[in-house]
This record gives sequence, C-alpha cells and structure tokens, in this order.
Amino acid sequence: MLPIILFIITIYLVTPLMAESTENEMLKLLPNEIHGWKAHGKAKIYDRETIYDYMDGAGEIYLTYEFKRLIVKRYTKASETEIIVEVFDMGSPEDAFGIFSHSHGRETKSAGIGQDSEYKGGLLCFWKNKYFVCVRSERETPQAKKAVIAIGRVISNAVKTEGEKPAVLNYLPENAFSEKSLRYFHKYEILNYHYFIADKNILNLDENTNAVLARYKDDKSYLLLVQYKNETQSREALESFVNAYMPDAIKTGIIHTENGKWTAVTLQKKFLIIVFDAHDKAGASSKIESVRNRLR
Amino acid sequence: MKKNVITRRDFLRGSVATTLAVTMGLPLEIKAEEEAKKKTKVILIRDADVIDKRGNINSKVIQRMLDKSVTTLFRKKDPVEAWKIFIKPDDIVGIKSNAWGPLPTPKEIESVLKKRIIDAGVPEGNIGIDDRGVLKNRIFLNSTALVNVRPLRTHHWSGVGGCIKNYIMFAPSPPFYHPDSCANLAAVWKLPIVQDKTRLNVLVLLTPLFHGIGAHHFDSTYTWPYKGILVGTDPVALDAVGLKILELKRRAYFGEDVFLKPPAKHIAIADIKHKLGTSDLKEIELLKLGWMEEILI
Repeated sequence: MLPIILFIITIYLVTPLMAESTENEMLKLLPNEIHGWKAHGKAKIYDRETIYDYMDGAGEIYLTYEFKRLIVKRYTKASETEIIVEVFDMGSPEDAFGIFSHSHGRETKSAGIGQDSEYKGGLLCFWKNKYFVCVRSERETPQAKKAVIAIGRVISNAVKTEGEKPAVLNYLPENAFSEKSLRYFHKYEILNYHYFIADKNILNLDENTNAVLARYKDDKSYLLLVQYKNETQSREALESFVNAYMPDAIKTGIIHTENGKWTAVTLQKKFLIIVFDAHDKAGASSKIESVRNRLR
Repeated sequence: MKKNVITRRDFLRGSVATTLAVTMGLPLEIKAEEEAKKKTKVILIRDADVIDKRGNINSKVIQRMLDKSVTTLFRKKDPVEAWKIFIKPDDIVGIKSNAWGPLPTPKEIESVLKKRIIDAGVPEGNIGIDDRGVLKNRIFLNSTALVNVRPLRTHHWSGVGGCIKNYIMFAPSPPFYHPDSCANLAAVWKLPIVQDKTRLNVLVLLTPLFHGIGAHHFDSTYTWPYKGILVGTDPVALDAVGLKILELKRRAYFGEDVFLKPPAKHIAIADIKHKLGTSDLKEIELLKLGWMEEILI
C-alpha cells in the first residue's frame, strides 16, 4: 500500500514541476524585442482545460490533436499595430504537422520559416518539431510584416531540432496529390471540416486513428487513408462506413454517387482506403489499388 | 444506423431537410403544418456610403439605416416611438456584442443602439454592452431585455457565426454546445439568463467574411463591402437570410457551389428541433431597403 501512496504523491509533486519546466522552455523561445516591438505584459499560458478562455470554438480544433499547452505573448510599438505570438506545444511533431496541415492552403509559397510555413494578410504560421506557431499583426503594415517574419525566425531558430512527419504519409503515392490539399488528423470533426462525410462518426475515428486526406491532381478526387490500431477495428469501421454511406454497394465497395462521380472503399489489414469523387469507375479502382500496393 | 445519419450523399440528393426531420423524429406532415403557420419579417438595408474606402464607418449613415429598419419593422414613423414598442423605461438592457478581434461588432453600431435605448427612456446606468464577460456583468445578470448584435461570418466550427451563435457566451460551459458542429446552439437560448428576453437582433453585413481556413480563419481576401445590416426579431430568420447571402457570394466568388466547412446546420436545427424561429426562406418576408447594387438575394 505504501509504495502506491508514495507513487501517487510523487506524481502530484512531479507533474506540476514538469509542466512548469516545459512552460519555461517555451518562454525561452520568445524574443523580448524585435524591430522596436517590445514584449507587453506577462505571457499567458493555457492548457487543455483552459484553452476555451482564450478561444471558444477554435479550441476544439487543437483538442482533436495531442495539444498540451499554449503560450500567448503580445508585442507593442508606439503608433504601430499590436503583434500577437501564439506558441502551441502539440505534444509531438506529427501533431504539430497535423495542425499546420489543417490550416495550410492560404498561400501557395512557403515563408521559409520552420519545417513549413505560410504568411498571408498579417498572419504567419509554421511548425517545427512539436511546436505550431502563429505570429499575427492586428493590421498588416510593411513594418509589422517585417517584425512578424523576424519574430517567427527567432522562434524557429530557438527550436534546435526538426521532427518527423507522420509515418502514414509514406503510404501515399508520390506526386499524385496537390501538396496543400494534404491534411493529417485523428478525429472525424477535422475530416468533416475538409470533406464532409456524415454528421456522425461513421468511420469510428478517435485519438488512436491516424488519418490523411489528400486531393488528387489529375481528376480532383479525394483519397482518405485511415490507420487503425488493429485489423478488427479497421474491419468494423469498413462495415460502419458502408452501411451508413453506401448501403447500396455493400458487396461491391464501389458506387456511382449522386454527383455523377465514383466512391470506392477497401480494406488492407489495419488500413481503410477510400476514394471519393473519382471521375470514373476505372479511375476509382486504380487509385484504390495503387495505395493498396504500397501498403502490402 | 443509416436513418439516423446525415451523409454527404443526402446533401447531394438535396434531401437534407427531410433527413433532418426524420433524424429528429418529427413526422414530416406535422413539420409542414407547423411551418405553414410561421411568418417572420426580416429587414435588409444597405447604404453605399456606410463605409468609406479605408473601412471607416459613417455613424450618421448607420444611425439612419438602423432607424429605417426599426420603423419599417414595427410600422412606426418615428424611430424612438418604434423603440418604445419593445423597450420600456424600467427595462435593464444588455447589448450582446461580439469582440472577435478581426471582425468585431463595430463600436459605431453599439453606440447607435445604446442611444436609441436611452431615447426609449432607459437610464444609461441600466444599459450594458458586453460579449465575453456577460456572465459576470451585473447588467446582463439582471437584464430584462437583450439586444443581439454581431457581424456575420463563416465559422470554422459551426459553419457560420450569426445571431444564434452570438449567445454562446451566456453558456456556463460553451464546449457543451460544440459537438456535431454546434448543432444544438439554439439550446443556449433556453437558458434562464436569455430566454424570452431578446427584443431585437442586428446581423451586421458591412464587410462579411464569406470564407476562411483553419482556426484563425480570418483572411481579408474573403471579406467584401456588402454595406448592409439585417434587422429583425427572429434570430433564426436573420441567420437563414445571412447564410443565403454568404452562399450566393461564395458561388459568385468561386464559380461553383463550395460547401461551407462545416455545414451550418445549427440554423435549421434551431427551427426544426428547438422552435426558436424560422429557417425556411419561403416563410420569411424579406424587405429590402436602400442600395440595391449587387444585393445578391
């Protein structure tokens, strides 16, 4: 009994210390001053419980990933617009990439910061290692743009190492997709955001599933590839999807949908492969097979 | 499982309304009968001079637009007389605004509303303007009347942010209403702090946001100077009209129908399930006033 009590006490004592150490680590990423913009007030820190105090509905997006904490710091300069820096600890490089991929597509060119980045309309977003960072000016001015980019560079340089992208991306056929159409996620709310399938979780997606949605360059159809924990789960998901989405194609796994396009689905061990909106039946089948071959 | 799920294919078939009704267990005949009884009036007023090229709002013009809307809505010649119909001198009035950084409720509109409430006889000390602090605001906690005002925009979690969504800050735990792309937002309107208190809704379409990507969502590329406001007593009807305008703008901009991400189904659900108002455009009397160029609807 005593070891258990000691273990619980240790957890209670150590966990806050670990959080504090991570927060200090994150605070060190932030500059005090850049191009005349000075840090204004104390940085505010939010976690999975308190993120709604900073952003209402938007908090849900981060919570669908392994978001740990957010640090927000404001920078001011006389007669200039305010700059707000948000550093999100996403728990892993995979999820930092994931949240970045959720938002990318605002701009075709990278801003050259972190492992990938975008700048548009006063807002810079990038990811590096387990961090997703947004730096934004309330109004875009030439000076503010320079400062936003400079702050981004400082933070990116302070994160010393890069992180790996999600392994599930390795199964995608090379050069087949528009890069900015690629989204990595775990839960159905994010899938529905980018490609609405159903109001219920008919694919049984959860925090343990790794999913990627991408749009083919050739016929603008979509590939959804989901990795489940095991084959039992993927099989159950297939059944659930077919029953809800294409009950008229339970045996064939391919259907001519109401928009004149084709949807096909198949299973490859613990992976579920779905192609939506293929131009023709043959195209849907060949796309499915090409992904399946990479999974074999 | 199928009958309880709304899929993309239901949207493609155009059968979402039917599916929604079935999902909620409503017999279709009864739903049709109930809808036939509803009639709701919405004012859409626009003025080319309400904002200048730099985006500054002309307070006199916005005052004129609001006055014209209210006098038309309540069939009075004088705006103060119109306000006196729905605001009494002993009311404690909360103006529920919206503070979202990139596209907040303009201060000029808040001021004009406050002025008219004072004109209706309410002492200034009994009027409050707030958004995120409503649950700690003495005026809102004791309010007898609410005026709901916010800009229209697309929203990454509920499809659109409009009149219905503006009351989320009255919820002690907003995340409770987030599931299923905020499908049951209208339930917030049944909370005691809100229920039956809303006298007027103003949906601001001066520079609406018709598209956005990601959690930050705002991109000025996807705003346009529509220079209008929607005014009415039915929040669902205002949102339904606003949603239609956004859809029409998206079609014009993208050259095709681009689904909202996610679909703003909370508007139809506010009608069908929560009976908060009317979402069917056929049951809404839309009165269009002022500037007609590129009105879309």
